[in-house]
Amino acid sequence: MFTQHAPRPLAASGLTAAAAAGLGSGPPRLSLYAQPPDGEASVDELEAFALDRLQVLRAVEDAHLRGRGDDDVRRRIDAALARHLPSHSGRGGGAAARQAAAERRKDAVSHFVLRLAFSRSDDLRTWFVRQETALLRHRFRAADAADRAALLAAAHVPATPLPPAERDARLGPAAAAFYGAAEPVYAVAFERVPALVARAQAVVRGGVAYVAAADVAALAEAAFRDALAAALALCARALPQLGEDERLLPVLRSLGRQSARAEYQPTGAAGALTADAVAPLAAAAFPPCMRHLQAQLAHDRHLRHAGRLQLGLFLKAAGLPLADAMVFWRRAFAGLTDDQFQKAYAYNVRHSYGQEGRRANYTAYSCHRIITAAPPGPGDHHGCPFRHHAPDRLRAALHADRLADADVRDIADLARAGHCQVACTRHLEARLAQRRQQPQQPASATLPQPQPQPDPAPVPPVTSPNQYLDLLLTDGRGARASPADAVLAGAP
Amino acid sequence: MTSDHEDTSAMAVDDGLDEISPVTLGLYYQRLFPHELYYKWLNYNAKAPTNDFTHREFSFTINGDVYLRYQSFNDGAEFQRELQKLSPNKIDIGAIFTAQPKYAKTLQPGVFKAVSKELVFDIDMTDYDEVRTCCRGGDICNKCWKFMAVAMHILDKALREDFGFEKIMWVYSGRRGVHCWVCDERARKLDDTGRKAVAGYLTLIRGGAEQGKKVNLSQRAASHPHVKRSMDIVEDYFEDIVLVDQEVLLTKERWTKILSALPDEELRKMLDARWSKHPNMSSVDKWSEMIDAVDKKAAKRGSKFGLSTFEHDMMLQLIYPRLDENVTTHLGHLLKSPFCIHPKTGRVCTPIGADQFDSYDPMSVPTLSQLLREVNSSSASQSNGAKDSTLMTEHVAIFEKFVATLSPSTNEHAVNGSGSGGGSLDF
Repeated sequence: MFTQHAPRPLAASGLTAAAAAGLGSGPPRLSLYAQPPDGEASVDELEAFALDRLQVLRAVEDAHLRGRGDDDVRRRIDAALARHLPSHSGRGGGAAARQAAAERRKDAVSHFVLRLAFSRSDDLRTWFVRQETALLRHRFRAADAADRAALLAAAHVPATPLPPAERDARLGPAAAAFYGAAEPVYAVAFERVPALVARAQAVVRGGVAYVAAADVAALAEAAFRDALAAALALCARALPQLGEDERLLPVLRSLGRQSARAEYQPTGAAGALTADAVAPLAAAAFPPCMRHLQAQLAHDRHLRHAGRLQLGLFLKAAGLPLADAMVFWRRAFAGLTDDQFQKAYAYNVRHSYGQEGRRANYTAYSCHRIITAAPPGPGDHHGCPFRHHAPDRLRAALHADRLADADVRDIADLARAGHCQVACTRHLEARLAQRRQQPQQPASATLPQPQPQPDPAPVPPVTSPNQYLDLLLTDGRGARASPADAVLAGAP
Repeated sequence: MTSDHEDTSAMAVDDGLDEISPVTLGLYYQRLFPHELYYKWLNYNAKAPTNDFTHREFSFTINGDVYLRYQSFNDGAEFQRELQKLSPNKIDIGAIFTAQPKYAKTLQPGVFKAVSKELVFDIDMTDYDEVRTCCRGGDICNKCWKFMAVAMHILDKALREDFGFEKIMWVYSGRRGVHCWVCDERARKLDDTGRKAVAGYLTLIRGGAEQGKKVNLSQRAASHPHVKRSMDIVEDYFEDIVLVDQEVLLTKERWTKILSALPDEELRKMLDARWSKHPNMSSVDKWSEMIDAVDKKAAKRGSKFGLSTFEHDMMLQLIYPRLDENVTTHLGHLLKSPFCIHPKTGRVCTPIGADQFDSYDPMSVPTLSQLLREVNSSSASQSNGAKDSTLMTEHVAIFEKFVATLSPSTNEHAVNGSGSGGGSLDF
């Protein structure tokens, strides 16, 4: 792919192509990355390019997690692109064209290096495909007509949409109201645009989805996503052949490692938690999502499947061993006979501990997973309270935690703006402040504080419920914290 | 997996036929189960057994709690023999795999993969517990069954008109819900993403127990033809089912639930105070009072605060079908087979004809004991299948009519799909 041995005229292909194109419209800024780039590159350069792209992909993820609305998301991604992966039109010839060609090359090279780095596991592949697709979507929106047309052609999207008159003839006036009066539509099999169909963003009639011109990016996106996923699977198979390449491999490995935000490693060793200790610990230190699940379980003596998984894997990571988990769930489902419990639930508990089925050792859910996975339906209690509770229920829950009014307002505002993890981190800070005020008292007995700590020590952002638990138990500082430290940290 | 634990009402006393036991089930599989049609269904009317049948996973529950997964059979005759031998309490149907499921354990992981299955839907009455007042949990009655009728009307129309599917079979789940089997080849070839797309398209009620208002359609979403068509159906049934039958605003406890979805505190307080003074007003009157108040306020405040869409959103929330999405979105998910005996109620899971959505009565579906009594009293000593039973006749006839519409898969040996079933269609 990136040959180092057969030196070719340095970057000649890129430059001449750009020079030729520079007279006209400039090289296309959007690519489906169907062809790996040609030419020579040093390992350092590969690494530098790839790191820059990684910054962009992380910014893309971050923007979607934290951005306040569409415009803000766009601004955040644009800022990262301008900094790490700029892309100019190259129009005007000469220096501009050379610069554009270099930028295109960097774009392509960095994409392909990351492909290799991210092909090694399922999780990495999924993450990479998601962020690259989001990046393409973003760039497509910002692109001009010529760049868009080039990309659509590359993605084999039908060249001409149905004009509004034809559209209305096919769909009738009712469907026509769904689209803009003058909006042409693309007719494609509904399977090709699953994301649009799932959100009912297109009218579907007789198995054909009518995609609004504004949504046409989804078509290119679908083509890109499928092709990239397939290419990554191929890459994964080819990866072992790189085995002896000692220049590239360490780079790829380290890229993969610092990729996606590192999964939080819970500190609870098996046996750290017993069935009896779950309820008191829940009151004292569980994050809101888990406390909610635990409370609902205690109240209903039942919890639906998704809730059981979310809570059960959290408890496992917090150190609840299998034997205790069986005791815990058996007691929780008090309404059942032993027989019913054994038949309907015991298997699932053992399964989540890797003792049944394909014996996978399932890890606890991260916040990202809880926030983005299937949202709770009627009767479900799983999910993230900051995302899935109605605002008034969230506020009620926060008041029940005896947080100060100002904190409640703050946290509810953050949640409404979609900053679930930031809201949760604020919640953690507020509870830490509570504890510091009354270090002797168990948290459940804490009274409302007349003077909450105005500026509690900053804690790292919460990325998983287990991290919240560990931080709260160690006073926000990790395992080293002692009570004395806590008092000092709390002092003004 | 669903979980139902309550015992169903004890049946009349007896001659052993009232029990659901290996003996009675054995008789049922021997004399009443429509083997021939069943095989034709899953073999899609092909003459010789195809992968559609031989690579299909069946799963049997025997003795109440032993779960045999990855069963598969070479042909209809073998299936019939095993069924009679094992007399399962329950038959589940899974996907068609790359190899015969009975050899799954001998294959390399990664080689054995699900490739196709009917697109299925599961609607369970327990998901309506927050909107029905007549029964809870596993119980159903003629009042709440009407929710199922509405669900079938809405989904059937959408599947036919929007997705272009034609081979759609609805089946009573034997207790408190319905299943839907979409058997068109294009539907069977959908991957998980495609299934998710269809399920998402058909889902309007979103949000967990902690969200009062679960339908929040934007103006554009509300103008989607599927929503409009569904709204037309909802309007036909809403007052009758939700207000008259269920009386969802009758008591303070009930109206508090509905009012909690109203995004305006002042209105909530005003209505609560009024209704507390006049608790005997019917739900119909309270509803129209609420809607009048909301409309008035919406006219004043503009469309910004979710008031103008409140009426339609709430109507949908209270009656629109509630799908168990997991069943639909996973290719490998098992679903109880038609013509099973429901292990709790003893009722046969019978197909529901496309013209029966409103008239189908789950309470009149024959039970295992009724069937066996009838068969015993008729002199027949030969096993003539369902033809012995007049109670089964109409149900089998519906099944037969459906199976006759099916045709063999076009490229069943290359089921390994191109990913998007209709991708090659030219428009």
